[in-house]
This record gives sequence, structure tokens and C-alpha cells, in this order.
Amino acid sequence: MTVFFPWLFGFLIIFLFMLAFLMFKKHKVIFNLRSSTPKASLIKSDLPLSMEEYASDLTAPSPVMPQPQKPGEELPGKYNIDRLVLMARDPYWLYAYWEISAAIQEEFKTNYGPFAWGQSQPVLRVYDVTGTNFEKQSPLEYTDIPISDQVDDWYIQVGQPDRSFCIEVGRKFQNGHFVTLLRSNVVSTPRASLSEQVDEEWMWIEDLYRTIRHQYGVSSPLIEEEIAGRMGIVPLGISSPGF
Amino acid sequence: MPLGFLALVLHMHLPYVRHPENEHFLEERWFYEAVTETYLPLLQIFERLVNDNVPFRLTISLSPTLISMFTDPLLQQRYGNHLEKIIELADKEVGRTYNSPFHKTALMYQHRFRQARYLFNDVYQKQIIQGFKKYHDLGYLEIITCPATHGYLPLMMVQPETVRAQIATAVDVHRQYLGTLPLGIWLSECGYAQGIDDLLKEFKLRFFFTDTHGVLFASRRPRFGVFAPIYCPSGVAAFGRDVESSKQVWSAREGYPGDYDYREFYRDIGFDLDYDYIKPYIHPDGIRINTGIKYYRITGTTNHKEPYVFEWADNKAAVHAGNFMFNRQLQAAHLKKLMERPPLIVAPYDAELFGHWWFEGPLWLEYLIRKIHFDQDTLELITPSDYLTRFPCNQVAQPCASSWGNKGYHETWLNQANDWMYRHLHYAAAQMVELANSHPDAQGLLRRALNQAGRELVLAQSSDWAFMMSTRTTVNYALSRTKSHLSNVLKLIAQIKENHIDEGWLSSLESKNNIFPRLNYSWYQSHYRPDFS
Repeated sequence: MTVFFPWLFGFLIIFLFMLAFLMFKKHKVIFNLRSSTPKASLIKSDLPLSMEEYASDLTAPSPVMPQPQKPGEELPGKYNIDRLVLMARDPYWLYAYWEISAAIQEEFKTNYGPFAWGQSQPVLRVYDVTGTNFEKQSPLEYTDIPISDQVDDWYIQVGQPDRSFCIEVGRKFQNGHFVTLLRSNVVSTPRASLSEQVDEEWMWIEDLYRTIRHQYGVSSPLIEEEIAGRMGIVPLGISSPGF
Repeated sequence: MPLGFLALVLHMHLPYVRHPENEHFLEERWFYEAVTETYLPLLQIFERLVNDNVPFRLTISLSPTLISMFTDPLLQQRYGNHLEKIIELADKEVGRTYNSPFHKTALMYQHRFRQARYLFNDVYQKQIIQGFKKYHDLGYLEIITCPATHGYLPLMMVQPETVRAQIATAVDVHRQYLGTLPLGIWLSECGYAQGIDDLLKEFKLRFFFTDTHGVLFASRRPRFGVFAPIYCPSGVAAFGRDVESSKQVWSAREGYPGDYDYREFYRDIGFDLDYDYIKPYIHPDGIRINTGIKYYRITGTTNHKEPYVFEWADNKAAVHAGNFMFNRQLQAAHLKKLMERPPLIVAPYDAELFGHWWFEGPLWLEYLIRKIHFDQDTLELITPSDYLTRFPCNQVAQPCASSWGNKGYHETWLNQANDWMYRHLHYAAAQMVELANSHPDAQGLLRRALNQAGRELVLAQSSDWAFMMSTRTTVNYALSRTKSHLSNVLKLIAQIKENHIDEGWLSSLESKNNIFPRLNYSWYQSHYRPDFS
């Protein structure tokens, strides 16, 4: 018994440590998903966790070696254009980046007063536009994501595969009034499962048959004979003319 | 009719790594190593198979950047020098290892490098592309294309014109060096999104590949799963990757390449040997690099490594080829019971896996092809266009946006390590389209500037840079390439707009980033449609 208790105690400590570690990790992920500014933090969760099957890992045979640092030209921070570009990253996440020019800010101030910019909250408004015509059909259901004036991109967790989305960047006043500054393109999240649609449609491409035969000079059933027929006559090292 | 078809697809691609400014640029070695270890060995097995009257059908996608490097005189000359140097080292190694367990392996390298030199200089007269063209023309290979600089198309669809320009460039390069229009395309990283197939159709491209779920999660449930292609509503066929056959080869743990008898990649004499001895064969600044000479087998999971024994590895390659074939036979026989037509198993791989990472990969492929021909009649090798010829009627469904990257969608190319690129890439792309539209018939210096802007843009769009940033391999290089090409486009655009083109600088860009000399800026015009008449 006297030996058992210190052991148990030790295991308990280890267990608690692991629990704390897991909680910390979980917390970190939530933090990453919600915020867009701490650039480096999500990278870790992007890395493959297991050793299996990452085809593209092997794309470029890149020798592991120290790289001589080269000065890279720096790119402009702004292009002075108004744009809000939305991309679907996967079935559950969208990514948006934007640039709001000084002209839009000025226009906003002209319309709502010189202090309106500071008194309003920057917001991303996310619309589910699946199967609708955004221009004609409003109001649509939306979700607002409060953001800060310092960010110009955001990962948006929509959590819905196979839906279409459009977002707006705008300012929200305390009374709830929302002013749209920019509207994005419409994107669709990819499916994440088998389709429920099981009725079948088939297509016969006759033209394909002709073209391939024409281009290759061999229709597949004949291919073995063709190859056998050519084999003896082609000198090595010299490419034969196309057809 | 066999019970099933097997479509082996090798995707060959390297980013454009040509650096005229420095003869010892480390990244150029990616190309040299792949030529010695992958591309020339593949040509050798094709030659052996043809000599032995073994018919086969293999699909190979040759990326336009790779074709450009194959055909570039500077890289050809430098590769020649590289070979001489490595042969010199191999010769020394034969002496150094005499009476040691490494001697036979040293002789093997000496022989291989000399063979590479013979193939490169004497057989193909430095034109490696002619080797691939030869087996394409003979009907053994179906060579297809891939986007010009391996641009990741789904994230470029914000400006479809630039996707079109990537494809237009690819088709042009393919036609220039292979003499035919490509019938299909390998979408970089299997990256697909709705709308891309419509652009492929403009170029008479008949098919592309997706990862398994690209076909499986199509808008209508595919009756045959991934074991038959589906037609997009545009009529372009999508072939889905088979999971089982991928795993057997790809997986680092359960896959063949991790076998203990195979050659260990990470024990290279560039790192293992005395600095003074190896100094002339590594980077002049003393940076140790892979020489390609590796004497150990994987041996086990620990750092303890035993000498490589080629006969054992060769034997394993044959065993694994047999195992792969056996599994495909079982798979085909099983699937045939469930389908009204022979199932098609699509097994695509990055070609550089074979020979470079998996040293015995080309041997495995050769054994597999021989066994399929001599040992059985359940399976038949086929290419996508052969298949579509035999089975022109296929189910119609909209494939699912997807890639073969981590998690199966676009995250590898869009995450916090690389998302900053897109505002610049999209801006440059939009400006490029606008300029192309506003200069319908540019001539002289203006035309040159527009064309070069197109080249710099496609170079910036390589999916490789975003990938390297994601995986944190050679990040500095990826950052520097992205930034320098982007800033070149931006500067050219500004000069064009201000009507003040710096001809000296433009000429220096044209000679430094000389990829795709035939690239035509009009391919970026919104109304541009290819004309193949």
C-alpha cells in the first residue's frame, strides 16, 4: 500500500497536467477560429497531424537545408481601391479580405456626421443567399460579426456545406442601424458528404469518340495491335512523327 | 474484356527554378536531382519495356514549367555540368569504399550517373522532352498538360480570365513541344471548383482528375462511385482518385516506400562525410546538401541504419508490385459484381515520388507493368481518353469543389501562412485583365511589357509558393519568389499606365524570367477564346 499511493499520486499529477494541456489547446483553437489578426497562431493546426497520405507533401523534392536569406521586395499595403473579396475555403469556412478607401470613409462622414465613423462599430454581415437572387430578394437572414478597425481580413465559420453566401462590410450604430460600405461576390461552400439526389442523368458524347480516334490514330480496342505493329520500325532515340 | 481497368497517372511538375544570376542556386538542384533520379529513370524503364515488347498505357501530365526547364539551354548546360561533377564524386566513392559494405552501392551510383549522362547527352541530345514525346507518339504514354505554372485554379476564379490564361499558356506549350493538343489536364493539386470545367472545354480539354470526394460528393450521387468518370454539365469528364491504391503507395507508414529494405533518403554523403572531402561537391559557401549518393537502407524506425543492399530492395520492389496488382485484381473483381461495366481504378501519383523520394519507385512501376502484361488478364492498363472512347456514355453531375491537399479542400493554399498573397495576386490579375482589355492591339515595347507582365503574373501564381509557406519548407525562397514576381507585375503595370516603360529593365526581366516566350497578353482579354481551326 505504501508503494501504491505515491504512484497513484504521480499518475494523478500527470493526468491533471494533460487535462490542463488539452484545455489550453482547445481554448487556443477557438481563439484562432474567431480572430483573424494573430497571423501565426493557426498555422500549427494546419500542419498534417499524421504521417499518412499527403500527396502534395511530396510535390517538390525540397532538400532540407539552410536557405540564404534574400531581400524580398516589399509589396504595397494598400492599393487605394474599394473591394471585398470572398472565398470559400472548405465546407465550413469562408475567407474574406477587403480594402476600404478614404473616399468611402469621407462619404460616410458626409452622410452621417464627422464623428459617425468613431461612433459606429465595424461589422461583417454574412448572408445566406442559397437559391435566392440577392439583389431582388430582401431582406434575407443574416449574421453579424463585430470586427475591429485594425483588421482587413477574416475567417468566417459558416459551418454549412453546399450553401451560398455573400457578405457585407459595414458600420453599425448603437441603435442598430447598419450602413453597408462594401458588398462581396457570392461564393458556395463545397459539399462534405454524398448527395441526397439519386436520380440519374446520362450523357453520350459521340463527338468525343471521333476526336480521340482522329487524334490518336488508334482506337483503343486496336491499341495493342497498333503498338505491336509499330514496334519494329521505330529507331531508338529518334522521335517518330505524330500520326 | 478485362474485369477492370487501371489508370496509372504520373503528375510531373517542379516550379520554375532557373536562376541565371547564380550558378550555384540551391533550388535549381531540385530540377537536377529530379532529372537524374526520376525523369531519366522513367525514360529508361519505358525503353526497356518497349524493347521487351511489353505494351502499356500510362498517363503522364507534364507541367509547362517542367517542359520549359527541360528545353532551356542554360539549364541543359548546367545539368550537364552537374552530371560531370556528380560522376567525378561517384568515381572517387568507388575508390573510397573499396573493401567496405558500401562498395557495391558506390558502383551502382557510378553506373547510374554514367547512364544518365549517356541518355542525356547521347540519346536525347539534351532534349529530355523528346524522350517523353517519343513514347507519347508511339502510343505508350498519354501526355496531358497542367496549368501553366501550376496555378491553384479554385482560388484564382475571382478573375476567370487569369485561369483561362493559365490554360491557354499550358495548351500552347504542350502543342509546341509535343505537337498535339492535349486531350486532358491535371488540375494543379487536383484543385477544382465549379466553372473551371467550362474554361477547360474552351480548349477542347476532355477530362481532368479530382480527389475521391470531388466525384463522390458530386451534385447527384454517382452510381458507380469513383469507379467510372462523371461528366460535368459542360461535358468535360471528371475522373476521381481511388483511395485504396493511393494509400498503398503514398502512405509513409503503411505504404511501400517505408519498407526497411528500401533506400534511406535522409542519409546522404553530402551530410555524412568529412567536410574537406565533400567540400568540392556541396555548395561553395560550405552549405551541406544532398549529393544523391546514399548508402543506407531504411533498416527500422530508429536512427540505426544498415548498409543498402540493392538485390534486397529490387526483390522488395517486385514483391510490392505483385501485391499492388493482387489488391487491384481483388478490387476489380469485387467491384465488377456491383457494376454493369468494368470498374476503372484511377491511381495518380506525383512522379517525383518515384526515384527521388522512393528510390525504387521506377523499378516498382516497371515490375507492375510487366506483371500486368504477363501474369494475369483481370486488369488492363488504360488512359482516360481510351476509357472515354470505350465508354462515351457517362453520368452527368456537378463535381464537388475539392483538392488532394490536407483536409481535401483549399486550406493548404489558403491559411494564415499564405492568405496575405491573395489580395496582391487578385489585384495584379485584375489590373492585368484591365490592361489587356484596354490595349487590344499593342505593338513594340508596349507589347513586350504586357507580355512580360503576363509572365511575371503566372510565375507569382504558382501553387508551389503557397504550399511551401503552408508546410514551412523553404519559406524564404517562396516568399522571395512571390514578392519579386508580384512587384515586377506591379511595376510593369505602373510603367504601362504611365506610358513610361524602362526598356533596359524590361529586357533584363525578359532574359531572367524567360519562361513561356510565346505567352501572348491577349490571352488575358475578357473576350479571348481560343481558335484551333
